[in-house]
Amino acid sequence: MNALTTNVFELLADNLDIRPDKQALVDADRTATYAEVAAEAGRIAGYLQARGIAPGDRVVVHLRKGIPEVVAMFAVSMAGAVVVNVNVQWTLEQLGYVAQDCGARLMIVGPRTARALATAPLPGAVERVLVAGAAPETDRFDAWEATRQDAPGAQVPRLDTELAMIIYTSGSTGRPKGVMLSHRNIVAGARSVARYLRLGEDDRLLGVLPYSFDAGLNQLTTMMLTGGTVVHQPVAMAAEIVRTIRDQAVTGVAAVPPLWSQIVRLLGESPAALPSLRRITNTGGKIPLNVLERMPALFPGVDIYLMYGLTEAFRSTYLAPERFGRKMGSIGRAIPGAEVHVVRPGAGIAGPGEQGELVHRGPLVSLGYWGQPELTRAKIRPCAELAPLIGDEPVVWSGDIVRIDADGDLWFVGRNDAMIKTSGFRLSPDEVEDLVCRSGTVGDAVAFGVEDDELGQVVHVALTPLEGFAEASLLGHCRQAMPHYMVPRRFHLWAGAMPRTASGKLDRPEVVRACRARLAEPALDTQGGRPLDRPRDAGTEISGHHAPE
Amino acid sequence: MPLSEQQIIGHLREALHVEGDLDGETRLFSTGELDSVAMMNLIAFVEETARIEVRPQDVTLDNFDTPARIVRFAEGQA
Repeated sequence: MNALTTNVFELLADNLDIRPDKQALVDADRTATYAEVAAEAGRIAGYLQARGIAPGDRVVVHLRKGIPEVVAMFAVSMAGAVVVNVNVQWTLEQLGYVAQDCGARLMIVGPRTARALATAPLPGAVERVLVAGAAPETDRFDAWEATRQDAPGAQVPRLDTELAMIIYTSGSTGRPKGVMLSHRNIVAGARSVARYLRLGEDDRLLGVLPYSFDAGLNQLTTMMLTGGTVVHQPVAMAAEIVRTIRDQAVTGVAAVPPLWSQIVRLLGESPAALPSLRRITNTGGKIPLNVLERMPALFPGVDIYLMYGLTEAFRSTYLAPERFGRKMGSIGRAIPGAEVHVVRPGAGIAGPGEQGELVHRGPLVSLGYWGQPELTRAKIRPCAELAPLIGDEPVVWSGDIVRIDADGDLWFVGRNDAMIKTSGFRLSPDEVEDLVCRSGTVGDAVAFGVEDDELGQVVHVALTPLEGFAEASLLGHCRQAMPHYMVPRRFHLWAGAMPRTASGKLDRPEVVRACRARLAEPALDTQGGRPLDRPRDAGTEISGHHAPE
Repeated sequence: MPLSEQQIIGHLREALHVEGDLDGETRLFSTGELDSVAMMNLIAFVEETARIEVRPQDVTLDNFDTPARIVRFAEGQA
């Protein structure tokens, strides 16, 4: 554990005296020791400084998961500049928007993106592009190998309160927003996660989530903090992940619900002994209960952690593995070094059995949104209900409704703005989806409210059918498992896979948008009818949409 | 129905908007060209067109990384 580390570059550099020759990173085709990562980062930092990149400048990193991506991030940090890691699956248009929005002066990209960028003017204030590979024969593009001429960079000291990274998140509405993380946010986050996941120098974590996602970044930062190893897994195929865990003696895997569903299905059909594995973690949404229930048997002796976080507060809660059996599905309690409260605005702090909005306090509270002071003040602000405890210290308002149980464990109820209001009840989409998935004949489900003259809203569910699916029996299951007001008025069968966000989570807004668009077509208007009582016509089918371009 | 490389390449271009050179040996996933959403779309296409079932344990780079490998896999399953 590197006790003295206070900024992002030190996460890497503090290993150099202790374990220079230890394997830090593993790619499919090469590995790199701590000394090798630092040497390459130093060279790229020298290149950046020679091109005039100054402390505080923003540098976009848009690379496929691998050693060059990590090298680029630490090089930017070494030069005192700000890392803006943009998910490699984002389109050229999104990439251009981010580069312009953050005022980046330089971009580090792969050869394919570079070729596309070379055909048009560079976005915003971007002056140069460094290519991890061969560069287009165009002015302002530099090849990775050409940096060998540059003298190694000099480490620029940074305060831990200064801006280290901007993580762009695509919200349900509008353009992506850049969440500003300080060095302290990132280092404090690594310390907290390393503590509750009990990580050490002998750990080898699988890196499958993107580094442009706070939960993915933690695999890298915690392994640098403890002197462990990250095994990169750029291909998110369940069978390939299981193979890598076995071949690379991986000790920990962090993933998101759709990936866990696939891995559980795979291991259910062809069980594999994974003796090296110590812990698995989930974040980015709820795993359906029927999948959770299978996990202990498929991962014998492995600690299962359920976690919750939002980028604006980095990470917030986790359920300790000792309580997994009793509290399956709970998001647990605050992570070490953070405080979480459940607030009922105007009414006080929620007690056992009550629900309210989750607010987060402590060193993981981010610096807000880049260039958006009003949005920042709306998201991170004092809390009157907490004033007797903490005065007017600003806290992150998550926008998530949670319930607190008698033991103090938290349960995710739903997004404040996604709640379905029907016949006077407030329903969480997650609760509906959970009960739908328990039928065992549904893969993914997305519940949403549709305006209704009589009831305010009615429940609709988009779903991907599994083998054995029949609409009538699913409806029967719902009528049995749900209170009457929760029973879906209509199912939307989704052909193919539902769209995911670039970090692998279900793209709920996109699913809901597509379903609503279908409803708006006059031929499908079902007003007053009970569409489920008549045979499903072809019009209720929604052709699955497809990959981001 | 047998599945051909040309059908797969056509699907990659039309449904998944893959640009640039594509042939039987183009690596799709190990190069990062396609993401996991595109992967599920492609699997559904293979299942439908070749009328086979693709089990989770079959979804590997050995079977799916290039159009030629997908054809070989589908022939083996038919």
